[in-house]
Formats: sequence, C-alpha cells, structure tokens
Amino acid sequence: MRAFDFSRAESVGNAAQHGNAETAFVAGGTTLLDLVKLDVMRPAAVVDINALPLKAVERLADGRLKIGALVTNTDLAHHPEVKRDYPLLSQALLAGASTQLRNMATTAGNLMQRTRCPYFRDVGSACNKRQPGSGCDARDGINRMHALLGGSADCIAVHPSDMCVALAAIGATLTLEGPSGEREVAFADFHRLPGDTPHLEHDLAADELITALTLDAPLAPAGSHYLKLRDRASYEFALASAAAQLKLDGERITEARLALGGVATKPWRASEAEAALAGQPAVLESFERAAEIALRDAQPRAHNAFKVDLAKQAIVRALRDASRAAQRGTDQDDTGQGRTDTQESQA
Amino acid sequence: MNDLNQSTLDQPKVVGQRTPRIDGEFKLTGRAGYTGELSIEGMLYGYPVAATIAHGTLERLELDEALAMPGVVDIFHHANFPRLHRSPNSMGHGDQVSEVRLPFEGERIYYHGQYVALVVAESFAQARAAAQRVVARYRQETGAISSLLDGAHDSHSEGELLKDAGTRRGDPEAAFDGAAVKVDAVYHIAAESHLQMEMHATLAEWRDGGSRLVVHESSQGVFYQRNAMARIFDLAQENIEVISHYIGSGFGNKLFMWPHAVAAAGAARELGRPLKLVLPRPQDMTSGGNRPASRQRLRLGADRDGRLSAVIHDSTTETSLVDRYVDACGSATPSFYACDNLAVSQRILALNHGTPCPMRAPGEVSGIFALETAMDELAVALQMDPVELRLRNYAHKDPESGLPWSSKQLDKCLHSAAERFGWAQRDPGIGAMRDGDEIIGYGMAACTWFAGRQPCQARVELRADGTLFAACGTQDIGTGTYTIVAQTVAELTGVALADIEVKLGETSLPAGPLSGGSMATATTLPAVAAAVRDALGALKEVATGHDGVFAGCDADSLTVAEGTLSDGERSYRFAEVLEAMRLSSVNGQGSSAPGEEKKQYSFRSFGAHFVEVRVDPGISRVRVSRVVSSMDIGRAINPPTARNQVEGGIVMGIGMGLFEKLDYDPRDARLINANVADYIVPVHADIPEIDVELLDYPDFKFNEFGARGVGEIGLTGIAPAISNALYHATGKRYRDLPVTIEALLADHASA
Amino acid sequence: MMDDSVHSPTRREPPAPTLNVNFTLNQQPVSLDVAPNAVLLDVLREQLGLGGTKKGCDHGQCGACTVHVDGQAMNACLRLAAMCEGQHVTTVEGLSREGELHPVQQSFLACDAFQCGYCTPGQMMSATALLNDPRIGSDDAAVKEAMSGNICRCGAYKNILTAIQQARATLADDAASQAGEETP
Repeated sequence: MRAFDFSRAESVGNAAQHGNAETAFVAGGTTLLDLVKLDVMRPAAVVDINALPLKAVERLADGRLKIGALVTNTDLAHHPEVKRDYPLLSQALLAGASTQLRNMATTAGNLMQRTRCPYFRDVGSACNKRQPGSGCDARDGINRMHALLGGSADCIAVHPSDMCVALAAIGATLTLEGPSGEREVAFADFHRLPGDTPHLEHDLAADELITALTLDAPLAPAGSHYLKLRDRASYEFALASAAAQLKLDGERITEARLALGGVATKPWRASEAEAALAGQPAVLESFERAAEIALRDAQPRAHNAFKVDLAKQAIVRALRDASRAAQRGTDQDDTGQGRTDTQESQA
Repeated sequence: MNDLNQSTLDQPKVVGQRTPRIDGEFKLTGRAGYTGELSIEGMLYGYPVAATIAHGTLERLELDEALAMPGVVDIFHHANFPRLHRSPNSMGHGDQVSEVRLPFEGERIYYHGQYVALVVAESFAQARAAAQRVVARYRQETGAISSLLDGAHDSHSEGELLKDAGTRRGDPEAAFDGAAVKVDAVYHIAAESHLQMEMHATLAEWRDGGSRLVVHESSQGVFYQRNAMARIFDLAQENIEVISHYIGSGFGNKLFMWPHAVAAAGAARELGRPLKLVLPRPQDMTSGGNRPASRQRLRLGADRDGRLSAVIHDSTTETSLVDRYVDACGSATPSFYACDNLAVSQRILALNHGTPCPMRAPGEVSGIFALETAMDELAVALQMDPVELRLRNYAHKDPESGLPWSSKQLDKCLHSAAERFGWAQRDPGIGAMRDGDEIIGYGMAACTWFAGRQPCQARVELRADGTLFAACGTQDIGTGTYTIVAQTVAELTGVALADIEVKLGETSLPAGPLSGGSMATATTLPAVAAAVRDALGALKEVATGHDGVFAGCDADSLTVAEGTLSDGERSYRFAEVLEAMRLSSVNGQGSSAPGEEKKQYSFRSFGAHFVEVRVDPGISRVRVSRVVSSMDIGRAINPPTARNQVEGGIVMGIGMGLFEKLDYDPRDARLINANVADYIVPVHADIPEIDVELLDYPDFKFNEFGARGVGEIGLTGIAPAISNALYHATGKRYRDLPVTIEALLADHASA
Repeated sequence: MMDDSVHSPTRREPPAPTLNVNFTLNQQPVSLDVAPNAVLLDVLREQLGLGGTKKGCDHGQCGACTVHVDGQAMNACLRLAAMCEGQHVTTVEGLSREGELHPVQQSFLACDAFQCGYCTPGQMMSATALLNDPRIGSDDAAVKEAMSGNICRCGAYKNILTAIQQARATLADDAASQAGEETP
C-alpha cells in the first residue's frame, strides 16, 4: 500500500480544488482502499469528503427524488420514499455486497465502483483498464464473470454495481461540481463503454465531484422487480441480474423498463427489449421475446456463454414478477428487506 | 481401583454432558491471542513477495527501491537466505512437513505464489508497501500444467500409478464383466481451498544468543513443526519450542509446517530480532495448501437383487512438482460395503500448484462422493430405494480386514434419519415434487470416517489452592479440546470445571497428537485420564503416609468424590490433604496409545445424510433447503461441540457440492480466484434447516471413553446426497463438483 | 485455555509522516498519531494492541474485522484510521461492560455459536448492530441475509442464528423489565 497524503475537505469547492489525476476522493472507501491495497489504484493524495453536506434525500417539486452523494447504500435502501416509490432501487441496493459494506458505501461511491475482473485486480496480469496498452488477459483467460454486452477487443470487464442496474431502469441525473461550476449528466451517459480506452470509465473530470443523484419521477402505477442470480444466496456479485418495471393497462404492457447487470461493461439499459414489450400482453411469450432481443448482440467468450441463457432467465423472471406486482397494484411487498434470494423471486 | 474413577466412565456425570467451552470467554471477549495478534518487544514484520508466474525461472530481483523505503530492514531471497537443511519429512518420525522444498532454494519457479522474497520491516504496513515495490523479472515458460481436470490430463492413464497405494480382493474385473447390472462412471472434483478464517501465521523469536528458537504458529501439530524445525535449522529438538494456544482453524492445512515458517524463523535468526509473518490471503491460498482436484472412475457390478459383486475404484489426484502428496480417494471404499471382488487404485499427477495437503476428511470425502453417487446410480438402474440398496449391501464386519466392527450402527442411522426426514413421503418420480417455481429433490448418502488413535502423554497437577491443572501438547483448533480435557478431569475428580485449568498447544508440555483425522479426542482423553489417576494415586500416597490426614489407612480404600478423598467416615478436600503435608501440589503423568484392540476389531464411524434441494429451473438456481443427519460416532464427550462439528461439516459439504472451486488459468496455471470474494463458500443465507442426531452408542472397545471422534464425518456424504437429490429433481446425473449454474443450465436452458 | 492479551502491549512506532487523529474507542477518548494511509484494522491490532478485531482477508470479503463506527457495523479493513476523526468506534473489547458479558456474548457461549473463534468477534459485532437496527427484520431469513457479510468457515451458522435470536429475546426481556421498573 503506497503512501499518500490525507486531507479533509470542508466544502465541495474546497474538495474540487484538490481534484487532479493523482487525487482520490474517499467517502466509504470500500473500493478505494481495496484497490489501493492491491496496488491497483495509486493515489498520491486522498481527500476525505465525508464532512461535506451531501447527505440529504429530498423530493423535488417535479416529483423527482434528489439523493445526496454521501447518502449511504443502507440509508438509501431503507429510506421511506425510496421504499415506497422506488422499490426496485431498494431491492437492488440490498442485493449488493454485505450489511457492513452497504453501511460504508455511498451513493456516489457506488456510481464509481470499479470492476471485479480478477485480471484488473492483479497487477501481475495484463489489463488495458489498469495499464492502457498492456493487453487483456481476461479475453482468453477465465472469463466466467465477464461481459456479454458492451465489450471490446480491449476489455470485457463487467460493471459490478447492483444499484446502477436499478438506476438504469429508473432513469436518473447526476449532478457534478467542479471549478467551473455545476453540471448535470444523464445517468445513461455517465458510464462509458470500454472501446479502445477502457481506462476511461465515466464522464467525471478529475477535478469534479458527484454531489447528487436525482431519480426520474417514479413510473407509476407500475410493478417492478430486481432479480440477481449468483452462485450462493448472498454476498456475491451477480452472474446476471435484471431490473424490470412494467406499467400495465389490464393485461397489456403500456411501458416497460428493463436493465441488466453482471453481463455488461456498463449498467445496461435494454431499450430495444423495452420497445418490444410496449403494447404486448404481459405474458411469458412477450417476456421471452424481450429476453431474446436483449441478448441478441451478446458476444460470449469461452467460460461465460451460459450467462446468455442465465441473463434471459433473469429477464423473463424479473418481468414476470414485475407484472405480477403491477397486477397486484403494489410492489411494496417486494422491497426485499431481509429476504434471502429464495424469497426474492416470489412475487 | 475401588473408587469411582473407572466406573464413572460407564455412567459419567460430566463427560457426555452439555458443557460450555471453557475457553469461550476468551474467544468472545477478544482476549484469546491468535498468532497474528501476538507481539514481542523489538518484533519485526515480514511480508512475502510471491511469484506471479507458475512455470519458469526468476531471472532478476530489483530491490533498490524497496530497500530504501521507510522502515525496511532487509529483504531475503534465494541469493542471501541462509542455507538450511530439508526435513526428512517422515510421518513416522514426526518431522513431516507440508512442502519439503525450503523457501528460496533457487530461482526455479514451480508454482504461482511460490515465495521469491521476504521483505522485513518495522511495521506491517511498511513491509507490505515495500514488498509491492520489489520488482521480480521472470522467464516464463509454456507448458505449465494447470489442472488434472484440463482435457489433456483427464484420462484413465494420466499420472503415476502408486504401486503400494491400492488394495485388491477377489477378481473384480471378471465379476464386473459378468454382473447383471453395472455402473461405470467418471467423477471429477475441483481443487478446493481450506479457506480457514485465520491465515497461516508465524512469530519466531531466537533466544539465548540464537541457540534457542521459540515459534508461535497457528498449527494443528506443534510437535511435528518442532521436530521439522530441528532438522531444518540443525538444532536439538530441546532447543525449539512451538506454541499454538488458539488456532483460527485449519481443516488440515495447518497439520504440518509450510515454508513460510522457515522463512520467518530464518530471517529472524539472521536479523537477531523476533519476526512475525502473517500470510496475506492470496498466498495462504496459493502456497498454504489445498484439496487437490480428483478424477475418479467407479465401476459397480451387482446382481438383480442389488447385491454388489464388483467394486472397482480408480482415482487420480494432483500433487505439486516439489513434493508428493497423495489424496487417497479410495481409502474408505474397501470397508464400506460387503463385496467380495474389489480393487482400489491411486495415481498422482504433478502439476504447477503449491503442494496440496489434507483437507477435512482427506481422500475419503472425495471417494465417498464417487461411491455414494454411483450407489445412487445403481439404485436407479435397479429401480430400488437407495436406502434399501445400502441395507442390502450392509457390511456386518469389515470386509477389508475381516474383523468385526467394534460398534457399527449405520442401519440405525439410515432408519432414524430417513424417518425424521420424511423419506417415505418421497415420490421417486423425476421432478415429481413441486412447490411453485421450484422442483423439490430428495437425496441421501451414507458416510464414514475411520477411527484412529495416536500415542499421547499428559500431565495433571492437584494443587494446594484447590485448583487442578491439566496439560497436553495437543491443540484445540476449535473442536473443543480444552473443554473435553477439563470435563475428563472433572469427571474423575469431582472438581468443578471452574477450578480446572487446561494448557494445550506447547511443545514444552507432554507430547500430544496432531489435531487432525478426528483422532484428537480418542487419543488425548485416555492419556489425561491416566494422568488424573496417577495424580490421585500420588495424593492418596501423601494422605496415607506418615503424618498424612489418612495416616495408616490403606490407600486403595480411599475414594474420590467432589474434590475430596474419603475413607467412608472422614473426607478431606484435596487441598487439605496437600496443606497438611505442606505440599504445593502433586503431579500425575499418563500416557496412552493404540493397543491390542486394533487386532481384534475394525473401528469406523458411520452416518447417513438426507438432503432436500430446491431447484428453480426457470432461473437455474439450486438451494439446499433441508439436511437431516444421523451420526454414529461413539460417545459425544460434549454433545453441543460434537454436533457443531457435524453441522460445520454439512455446511462445508454444501460448499463442496455447489460452490467451491479453485480456478487455475489453463494458459499458465496461475490461481485466479485467490481471495475470499471469488472463491465461493457458504454464507449465512445459504444455510438450510439442519437436524443432526448423534446416536449414543459408546465404543468402549476403542477406548474407555467410548468416543471415536467427529471432526470429519459430517462433511463426508453431503456432496453425493446433494447430487443425488439433484438427480431426483432434474433427472440429470451430476458427477462433477461443484455442481455449477453452468451444469444446471445445460440441462434446463429450455425450461 | 490462556489469556493471551498480556502478549499484546501497545508498542509499534508509526512511520513518518503522521497525522493526529482523535476518536472515541470503546467509550474512551483516543488520540494518536497514524500514518495517513494507516488502516483502522491495522491500527487497532498493531498500534493499539487490540487483537480482538480479526484479519481474515483484508479486503472486505469476510467480515472478521467488523467493528461499529457510530453504531454501524463496518469493515475495519477498508477504513482509514484518519477517517475516524471524531467518531465512536467500538470493538469486541468494548462489548462487555464491567466484566459482564453482553447478552450477545452470553448467548454465543450458551449456544456454542463458534468453533475456532476467529470470525466470532466480527459475527458478534454484526449481531449487536443488527439487533439495534429496527430496519432489519427479526425473522430468521432477514437475520441470515443481514449476517451474510460474516463468513464462518467452521460453519457454525446455525448456532449463530440461534444465538442471535436468543439474545434478541433476552434484550427484549431486559427492556421490558426496565420499562416495568420505570413504570410506577
């Protein structure tokens, strides 16, 4: 673990002044400290931003919900308005990591989470994301956990966040603040595809700070479901996950939102599948067709071909359970708090 | 022997009773000192630099930057580490090690994670920081062998056939050829990590000008480590002390010393300061032992009534290029079922891994997976209830030795567990039992583990302050050895547990056994009992001697109860007896060893597991939802801790069945998931309903306590019970562990 | 059995440069100089001699290092000591009060909710935090899910769950009897 300077930011402006390529902001620290210990991240300076006043959750006049960057994953998952209006987000948050990590991790930190690709995490391996131009050991290595969608010749690392999959389905806007002031970025545009620059992961300048995340107004009335599939029942990254929201008119889908996790290089909105669902009856055949469309462009490697089928299964089941929730007229029961995955899928 | 000492073990008051762990409060308050948190004045910290390749040569080490970093004291490597000797590596002579190659022997790299340097600094953080700045240049070679299970090595003829490792009776090949019903199948089990919670750790201190070595080690066998270190450092055994008071478990990988301990002690000697080395988790996993992958072929032949006519069990397991480890998969097979025609063979394949080592129920757990899955396949072929098939082939004596069993209650285990599980309610149709999205599968397997004893010595003091002290150089790795030793002393003296102090885990104490093989209980307690009796004898001598409280009485006429000596009229507390003679204590010594009983009986524990799985084919998910087990382990000295062992074995078996797999990159044999997140073990949310019954049939032919040991058996049989339940749910036979989502999807993608 | 705490004196010299950090540790104020990159877990174990908080992975993957920071369960291995300025940190050493075991410790002992004991401090710190957190359900499934960040390789999970639920009942009884005493 390399030496670094440590300081505490007293204001957002003060923090942004510190920001440069050599500086890391620390909030929860769950990604940063992990990767610094592995010598994967090597900041010369760490700025503690926990004292910044970014911990509020507020309802905006237009119905959107603004979440401070430092709201922890736990607090966000249990926030009454999130549980009521965005149960999908609550479920996704609680499906991620462990209690301890959720207590530490923040909203902005989760947006900035980095891949779990073992070759990225091992400085003895070739990785274009960690060391541009060094190659990609994952492509022909053990790539069970790797991406089917959004990959490139240079990188097939999966974006690991659960929260972000829900956000992709819900829609959100990030507020970024830097020396030249505040700007807003749509969530969908924040994370980048790897292309030939996998080391550039997001649209955040080194001297900028995420200050808030604003959720789009809730899709209502709708049913939603977040389903995460993995080897064990908890505390594991997704092999495939699906976030689904459906608005129904009787048996007919009027609006669908679908996003995927565990299978893509960024939080993956399945827009074409959504379009194909609109106007269709909320039945298995529609869900299966949507799943086929969502995975149509999948590019599996040696060990992750099974995730094409697994992701389809996640989609079909998440859509089914979202439709059931919609038909019940509520998905309050699906907030997933304290549920093992055995219960997760039971609508 | 007319007092209660002998008879109480037939009708015990403390032994066999629920007893909270006497070391519990230390563990629960953070005061139990595991090796990694011990500290000695002037102590240095080591941090290893490990090879990032698995096959090749270390060409150059660039150390300048690391050496210049704050707090760095020195860096050891092949060019400057002292020249030491290898251990003879003999189990029989007590100097077995886990990997015979010494650290830093040369530039050749045999496996990923092999130590290439040890950075020593004033603090842990400094040592780690500097270790990350050491630059090692390698010449990597192609041709690394990554796994026995790679296609190229997955064949019957791969590996070296071990001539002396097999067994044979009758004419199994002919019997198999002529059998009416046959099973012939190949089973694969991935390499597993022990993943014990406390990493390997050593704290080495040289005293008296470097002539004496004191080592704290997280060890399951302090005497083996002492003896090996004596050979390696060319010291008299008497000048080495190895201490292991608390062990964050081991599961076999802490039985015998690893090279890191040699590196720590060697560096400490060179620098003249104590040195602590706690392996980082990745090194613990690459270089601190694993269960090797296995490939097994099982051939069963039977008549139409299900009676076995042939069992042929051929196994191949992995070893390293620097040592020869044999994971004897077939070792339980000859004794499991009655069958006149049987052959067991064993091969090993050397590859580019750190040396494998015993892991909980070594060999047998793998072999039982193959055998008990094959038995289920046979039951299906016969259209017979698998419980009935096992009863039909019941071995009423040990078919291998021909000796009667000391005590075998497998039939009662099968009946009792089946009853509690509700096996009779099983619809044997494939996928016939459903609940919502889920298919319910029922499966069962029998299980076994041998019962063994080792030589052991113990010492007991009766003290004038009213307390008792018992000492033995075995270890408590979490199984509860401290507590059962105290129970033994309490049983034989009537003294309260609170007044009994137990000391374990030091080579300065009377020689005790490895904490392994489920042998510690049956080995240690008879020696402790003998020491108690010896001490009581000494006390009676004192009491009946000139000026003693029972002066003139016959020592044999005195009885012991509630911490007192009594002649029937008068009774005196032990302390009073001692004080009357101005004695601080009397001392008793005892020893025990396996004896003639081995010629008269075969000793094995048996059990049965019944497992319910829930398969959700729509999302390719398997969860174990219920496990009901009955175990015939002789007497449980402390039922809650014994049951805890079985439950823990069941949990580990769920991991073996569904999750656990060390991933070696097939291109270069590097271990890719050497961390606790990517190597998947069961967590709280995976835990099913577990119902464990310990049958109470004390095995007095084995020892006077009637205990056979319980550490391993719970793990054996779980994985096949799971795979058999999966067959019931899905109709697909899962012969490879772990049963992954990939394997399920291959079956259910269209569901 | 041995009380090995005597072997763990406060000793280690921190490397330069250092910064001063003040926080409350097990209800006692602490002021110490740490390296800017010092990790809370290492400071507890090596600098403060509090070995009860265990290191099982050093990367937030096992839960053995779980402590409370301002009442919340957190992994001490992923937290800079410097980030604890002004905070309340509780370790397993601070769980028992005046020599009396916390109800969670008592129930862990009574239920044999451990074997080797190495993950146990972390298990208990997570358990005490969840019992204080009304947002976490009280049924077995909720507890198992909330505890899943604490791996027990000995597999004592069943007994841990029993111990937590037993401690919940004890704490509820204690609260009820206290309320009863306060009510005239």
